[in-house]
Amino acid sequence: MKTMIGTPLVRLIAGFVIWAVGFVVLYAVQALGCAYGWGDWHRPVLIGLYLLALIPLIWLAMPARAGAEDGPLHMAALWANRAALVAAILVFLPTTFASLCI
Amino acid sequence: MSRPSSPLGLHKQLDAIWRTPPGLARLSSVNHTILGKRFMALALLFFAIGGLLSMLIRAQLATPNSAFIGPELYNQIFTMHGTVMMFLFAIPMFEGFAIYMLPKLLGARDLAFPRLTAYGFWCYLFGGSILIVAMLAGVAPDGGWFMYTPLSSKPYTPGINADVWLLGITFVEISAVTAAVEIFVTILKMRAPGMALTRMPLFAWYMLVTAGMMIIGFPPLILGSILLEMERAFDLPFFDPTRGGDPLLWQHLFWLFGHPEVYIIFLPGAGALTTIIPVFAQRPILGYRAIIAAIVAMAFLSFGLWVHHMFTVGIPHLALAFFSAASALVAIPTAVQIFAWIGTLASGRPRWDIPMLYVAGFFVVFVIGGLTGVMLAMVPFNTQAHDSHFVVAHLHYVLVGGFVFPMLAAIYYWLPHISGRQSLYRLSVPAFWLILIGFNLTFFLMHLTGLMGMPRRISTYPSNWGWDWLNLLSSVGGFILTMGFALVLADMVLQFRFGARFRRDPWRAGTLEWATATPPPSYNFASIPHIETRADQLLPAHIGPTLAGGNGYLGFARNGVQETLAVDMMSGAAEQLIVLPRRSFLPLWTALATASFFLALLFKLYWLAPFGALATLVLFLFWPLSLGARTDRGPLDIGRGLAVPPDVEAPDNVTVLANRTALVMNGTLFASLLFGGLFLLVVAPNWQGTSGPILPLWAGALALVTSLSAAGLTVVAGRNPGATMRLRVSLLATLLMQILAMALLTLAMSALGDPTGHARQAVAFVTLGYAVLHCGLGAVIAAHALWRHAQGYVSARRRTELALARLWNGYAGGVVILALGLVALLSMSGSAP
Repeated sequence: MKTMIGTPLVRLIAGFVIWAVGFVVLYAVQALGCAYGWGDWHRPVLIGLYLLALIPLIWLAMPARAGAEDGPLHMAALWANRAALVAAILVFLPTTFASLCI
Repeated sequence: MSRPSSPLGLHKQLDAIWRTPPGLARLSSVNHTILGKRFMALALLFFAIGGLLSMLIRAQLATPNSAFIGPELYNQIFTMHGTVMMFLFAIPMFEGFAIYMLPKLLGARDLAFPRLTAYGFWCYLFGGSILIVAMLAGVAPDGGWFMYTPLSSKPYTPGINADVWLLGITFVEISAVTAAVEIFVTILKMRAPGMALTRMPLFAWYMLVTAGMMIIGFPPLILGSILLEMERAFDLPFFDPTRGGDPLLWQHLFWLFGHPEVYIIFLPGAGALTTIIPVFAQRPILGYRAIIAAIVAMAFLSFGLWVHHMFTVGIPHLALAFFSAASALVAIPTAVQIFAWIGTLASGRPRWDIPMLYVAGFFVVFVIGGLTGVMLAMVPFNTQAHDSHFVVAHLHYVLVGGFVFPMLAAIYYWLPHISGRQSLYRLSVPAFWLILIGFNLTFFLMHLTGLMGMPRRISTYPSNWGWDWLNLLSSVGGFILTMGFALVLADMVLQFRFGARFRRDPWRAGTLEWATATPPPSYNFASIPHIETRADQLLPAHIGPTLAGGNGYLGFARNGVQETLAVDMMSGAAEQLIVLPRRSFLPLWTALATASFFLALLFKLYWLAPFGALATLVLFLFWPLSLGARTDRGPLDIGRGLAVPPDVEAPDNVTVLANRTALVMNGTLFASLLFGGLFLLVVAPNWQGTSGPILPLWAGALALVTSLSAAGLTVVAGRNPGATMRLRVSLLATLLMQILAMALLTLAMSALGDPTGHARQAVAFVTLGYAVLHCGLGAVIAAHALWRHAQGYVSARRRTELALARLWNGYAGGVVILALGLVALLSMSGSAP
């Protein structure tokens, strides 16, 4: 199982795993904020989480360092991670404008 | 080891080891070729049943004010049509296809766990039979294929109709989860040497991702079914809003499975297309890497849009926006694949044959379904079209376009592999046109009736609403479609009877399955190839005779055992020699014991159900008796100058990987339970002013300590398996600790108060029950390791049992932590005003 750690197979799903975690966290925080009446803090918390989720995704979407492993799966992983970044930007964007609890 | 002098001699030796004898012994078959065919044949039988039901639906709706079927029977018919097509046709069909095809495509002699394949098949057969027998008895499920609560709750469905669905489908889903684990492990570990992941055919990539989706996607449905059945049987109010439950919890759990399910069904079809199109375009697939990225994107995005089935239930705009955006976005990775296929055809030298007719039909039908999917992803449109026939049209365009058309292409492409004969063609072309025309006539018009306001699931309608002629034409189209399918069936029968024989690779394909003889022998490959290029650009007609002559790996029979190879997951380097179990009646007996458990629950014989569960567990403990080794053998010759150790002497073997995978699946089920508890706590009505469960702190803390100690002791046991006394004491202590943890948690459960009084107590009760069960499993697996050690199956090299004890007891420890955390949270949240 050691061979899996740090391999392109993990990198292949890394971006979308982060996207999925971000999605679940944002959906949960949206529900919690409405249930417990977070008021004015609710949207800033959501936007903060949105931006937080983008940080690792931006890092994963950058081209690999010189000398890093190259190959077909590496390229597929890079494109999957870029897709995850775009998906996060678009899907999480409504945190900035949509009504939170109505 | 015996090396015969001729290919025929080798065939005879291997066939004597791998074959399934005729007569009753067929019931003991564990061979993937036989079981794959059985899965597909049974799935096609259920497809025919589902098709007949659809004919009844269309006959009823052909004219207004129809008295053909009363509303009660109609409810059963449309529920069973959806249920049969989704659970008894589509999923098992692609499972059977993958079970038959994957080892051949990857260069293995069978799947990783042949007896599990057989067990899955029997569960499918028995579970499916429960549903069909119930339908014939007039007590079929009648609440729609997604069984929404409260309609499916006891007060509104007092008979056993809903129980038939919940228990029958859960029984059938055992075959899906076992297949998912098998497919996942087989693809990662049992490829031909040299077939690195980056050389794997795209069909295997599709199935790898599909299996991963099944591992995460099916547990929420299984959990939902368990909870709803517990509500119906024991009055635990998970979905009853008057006692702190919420019907929306069912919808969340169902669609957490239900939407990814659409993609779980589509991806194998897309995998078949990706294999077939390059063969007929006569060029390699375009965008191999882009397709891998697109499959991964699609898999994840498909989990982020389950709420688009719930847009009209009253959800805040922000949540609607999340799911609407994800629903629209998933069209992009789908489009990447479609453009890759079109580009492959456009840049190749396409030749037309029957499979290509269905590929063309797929493009037309699926793209229409995809576009209406984007329309339905938009909240305002969705609100208007919700529960109308527009949705019926959309889902049929997606599912028939995305699965049935590719499967028909696959049948025409791969049936010669099964039959050893080529298609006759005379019926194939008219069958295609009948299906294409009949399908579009039936379902395109439903877009219009839907937009004109016709709701789903109505048994009749008045004649003055303008739906009459559209419905009549839809019904005519339905019968044309059925005639097309009947011709396909006749075509298949005729191919087996009169088709011309051929030797190998009639399509000039590039994948390894065509390197076997056709029909394939019981062992697939007389020797296993070494792959040096991408495995969708091979020359099967050239490779086949070489392998049949024994010039690959394992080109010999050794000790009368079934041998195949395991490889490194990434590089594909040969790593281990796997000895697969031979045919056995154990899977059948185990499935019968499992059936007794489900039937006892169905007929409310609750005293009998634990015996069924116990019998199943005991029979499973018999499974490893014929496996393993009592001596260390070290590296063994596998041919081509290589030697590798037996998999029982390797720490990362398929058994360990399968158990890790099963634990991920199990963990998803537990996570769904935690989600359910938290969802009710935060969202459900009638929680204010009620008292929470009282968790006896000392019992919880002690259970936590004992369970975590048990997990720690399995680590100690595994550190030095040569130290016999320390190992045995550690495992014995693990067993005792877990039994103590079970007792303490049971005590805590009994102190929670009446679990039927409020959802809070019910959730706490079930969560702790789950923890008790897993402490029990940890104890059983530790005891099993102890017993195997006493029998001589465990050594410093052979430590699989110890790894399993560590995994399951570690998991149990984690479960106890989280279960107690949730119950503590539920306890604290009780008395808010």
